[in-house]
Amino acid sequence: MSRHQLGEFEEIVMLTVGILYKEAYGVAIIDEMEKRLERKVSIGALQTALRRLEQKGYLTSEFGEATSVRGGKRKRYFRLTSLGSRVLRETQESRNELFKAIPRLAFPKQ
Amino acid sequence: MDHSNIKPPKFFHRFFRWFCDPAIAEDIEGDLMEMFHRDAETASAGKARFRFARNTVKLFRPGIIRRFSQPSFTPSSPMFRNYLITSVRSLMRSKGFSTINIIGLAVGLATFSLISLYVYHELSFDRYHKNADRIVRIVENIKTENETLYQSVSSPPMGPRLLKDFPEIESYVRFQNWSLLGQRNGVSFYERDSYIVDSTVFDVFSFELLKGDKKTALRDPFSIVLTETMAKKYFGNEEPLGQSLKMDYDNYTVTGVMADVPANSHFRFSNLISFSTWSRNNKYAEDDMWFWNGFHTYLLLRDAKSADAVRSKMQAFIEKNIGKGKMYYEDLPLQPLTSIYMAEQRTWENGTRGSMDNIYILSIIAIFILLIACFNYINLATARASRRLKEVGMRKSLGALRRMLVMQFLGESTIVAFIAGVVAVALVWLSLPAFRTLVESELSFSALPDPMVIITAAIILILTIGLVAGTYPAIIISRFQPVQIFRPSSKGIYSHNTFRKILVTTQFVISIALVAGTLLIYDQLALVRNQDLGFNKNAMLLLPTNGDSAIIRHLDAVKQELMQVPGVKSVTGSASVPGQSLSNLYTEIEMLDGKMSPTNINYNFVDHDFLVAYDIKIIAGRNFLREARADDTTAYLINETAVRDFGWTNEQALGKKVRSRYQGRIVGVIKDFNYSSLHAKVEPLMIGFTNHAGRLSIRIDENDLQGSINRVQRKWTELLPHLPFDYSFLDVDFDRQYKADQQLGKTAGVFTGLAIFIGCLGLLGLTSFVVERRTKEIGIRKVLGASVSSVVVLITKEFFWLIIIALAVATPVTWYLISQWEQNFTLQAVINPLRFLIAGLSVMIFASLTISILSLRAAAANPTKALRTE
Repeated sequence: MSRHQLGEFEEIVMLTVGILYKEAYGVAIIDEMEKRLERKVSIGALQTALRRLEQKGYLTSEFGEATSVRGGKRKRYFRLTSLGSRVLRETQESRNELFKAIPRLAFPKQ
Repeated sequence: MDHSNIKPPKFFHRFFRWFCDPAIAEDIEGDLMEMFHRDAETASAGKARFRFARNTVKLFRPGIIRRFSQPSFTPSSPMFRNYLITSVRSLMRSKGFSTINIIGLAVGLATFSLISLYVYHELSFDRYHKNADRIVRIVENIKTENETLYQSVSSPPMGPRLLKDFPEIESYVRFQNWSLLGQRNGVSFYERDSYIVDSTVFDVFSFELLKGDKKTALRDPFSIVLTETMAKKYFGNEEPLGQSLKMDYDNYTVTGVMADVPANSHFRFSNLISFSTWSRNNKYAEDDMWFWNGFHTYLLLRDAKSADAVRSKMQAFIEKNIGKGKMYYEDLPLQPLTSIYMAEQRTWENGTRGSMDNIYILSIIAIFILLIACFNYINLATARASRRLKEVGMRKSLGALRRMLVMQFLGESTIVAFIAGVVAVALVWLSLPAFRTLVESELSFSALPDPMVIITAAIILILTIGLVAGTYPAIIISRFQPVQIFRPSSKGIYSHNTFRKILVTTQFVISIALVAGTLLIYDQLALVRNQDLGFNKNAMLLLPTNGDSAIIRHLDAVKQELMQVPGVKSVTGSASVPGQSLSNLYTEIEMLDGKMSPTNINYNFVDHDFLVAYDIKIIAGRNFLREARADDTTAYLINETAVRDFGWTNEQALGKKVRSRYQGRIVGVIKDFNYSSLHAKVEPLMIGFTNHAGRLSIRIDENDLQGSINRVQRKWTELLPHLPFDYSFLDVDFDRQYKADQQLGKTAGVFTGLAIFIGCLGLLGLTSFVVERRTKEIGIRKVLGASVSSVVVLITKEFFWLIIIALAVATPVTWYLISQWEQNFTLQAVINPLRFLIAGLSVMIFASLTISILSLRAAAANPTKALRTE
């Protein structure tokens, strides 16, 4: 198993950052997550997760432009690092392996 | 609708900015704003606000909140040395201001220490006894037909019977005051503080017996234990133990020598005499005279907490042993020993009493003076803050944290406080003798806790002063931004004028209140002193005789001899004189219905000349008559108050039967005179006749006091060589009752002076700073034609208004407090509004003198000099 452990919420945040590619800043991430997953995301939870992931080195960030709607404050755009993408991939693979290991019979009939 | 005008809730916005980690605050705040504006567009403004608030609260979580614990800084010792050096340098650079600060604080601290010493001493009374918390004094509330008497005394059977009935009581001691004439080898003195006392005294109290055996010392009749001072007086360097000493007419054997009674005792004595000296012949009185209240009885409880248990059974005790007559004990309360000194006075107190009011007043003054000194520091430090601007800017640019700067400036104020503390110790040392005289107390250091406690308290005090005085300036100074050095116009630096004005005004308020309060206290005391007492107390010489048999037998002859002395106007003998306690005797008096009614009433016994000598008026009936021999054993006089109390007219009083020391009738009604202090109302009084003069009162020529005294003394030693000529003045003795009040007046006066002195010091510093800052302005004004006086007015008027405001604040407060204090007297001086004006004016004069000296110098200076200072 990998040393890298991702929580479910962290994983979703990273995936969303990946999806948005160059447009991944706070509000956009929330919007995207809410749209795709149909669930409420609190800014508090998101921001802590983003900072934690950045600290672990899975994400990196840089300032973007400032707009008047933002009260003159700049956006911070997040990007996956190579470590981040590798961790995402590893997570997906380990999931797949687990999934494949389930005997067909164990799934109830549709 | 334009949504960009809608603002998020201010509180939450500020809250966010406060808690958010600055490293990530910008983009999160941006996100918040973006969401807010979007909400405002899509939903309502209210909803947007609500969501903004909710989001902010949700962001308040670990990971977002900044680290409040700032990076720990451990200043290296070079840094500390640097702080110290800069502090000392800045103190040295402005010697004048440092001196003002240090002197002000030192005087404040010294005053505070002296008053603390006094307060501690006053509160330490009787606490030196090992059993202090277990000793109580038994006192009485006596109910008579027309009043309740609150007495400090008790009767001889109470102690023994209480001991028998209550298992909670371990022991008792009875004291009775005797005034004896001690005589040995030609040395003779009145020993007014002699006491007969139970032999248990050394077990109950912690009086220190230096020589003799405490078990037997006071066992046998005519045994006497002397204090060291008294032993020295009569025996010099001889060994007193076992020797004999004549007191009045009896010879006593000295069975012990004890240490002098500590100054902080509620009563003191010069010697103790065995109780058996009296009780061997007074068995009946000792066992059964439940209403002979001539003793002070102290009980030693087994357990400090059992006082309540004894109290709860007291009513049953009274019922069982004493019962209820026409006069009866309503209650026998127990006073804890340590509370007696400060307790409300009862009648027949032994020793002196303190005053809790005075303690409060002095404590407040002490704190005020300290505050004034602290305000000086705050004022001067903030006023001069701009001087440190460059230093602060430099330190900040080099990375000093604000916290470090605060520490530095607090350190500086602590250094000042510390130096002031050292100076204060010297001041206390120098002024202690004067202070002792001022408060008329020995203030023995033995009453103080051990030195470590004092040193700790002193250090805490100094640190507190450093903190109180230093905090505000430290915060102000450390708030400077380095940029401000280059923008010296920025008002942030000089805008603390309002705060300084408030402090200066407070100082004025305190000064004015103290001055006005002192003046009003003096008004009250003058009123009391000059009050018509109903008798003449001037130039009256008092001489104790102790009932000397020669005088009693030949009273008229002695009086006649003394009358021959030039300068002597009248001579009279009496049992007691005004201002001294009187005997309170059980009396039966004939009422209007002809029945004899029992009561307790104050008595004085006097000779024929008393009323004349004292200028006491008779308003009905007559005085004792020399011609009517029967008067000596049948006549009584009564005062107006008593007549009123019994519901008579003056005429009805005459001829009423009286049964007391002797049986007789009332022959005269006298005008009321204040025979005790003006702290109490005039009470009913009976005057009976006696030849047994305990005191001679001699009225002498006011214009030749010393000469008359000398002549009387010569005659006295010729007539009565065996009696010491131990005189006092009636007015002095009488006014001694107001000793506590007079002391308060004097002490308050002195400290008021100090408070004004410190306040003026601060004003001096502040003005010199203002003048310095406005040197150029003054120069320009003068060049443009301003006169010296207009410049002085320019500088002075600012303070003028502050004093007016201070006067307005100080007046009602002082008015209220003084009128409360005056309730202690039966007669209150009218509070004179003029006193406040005088107080305000005197403070103004002192302040403007201080200010004028400096502003005059500034105004008189040559303007070219001022304008060339660049």
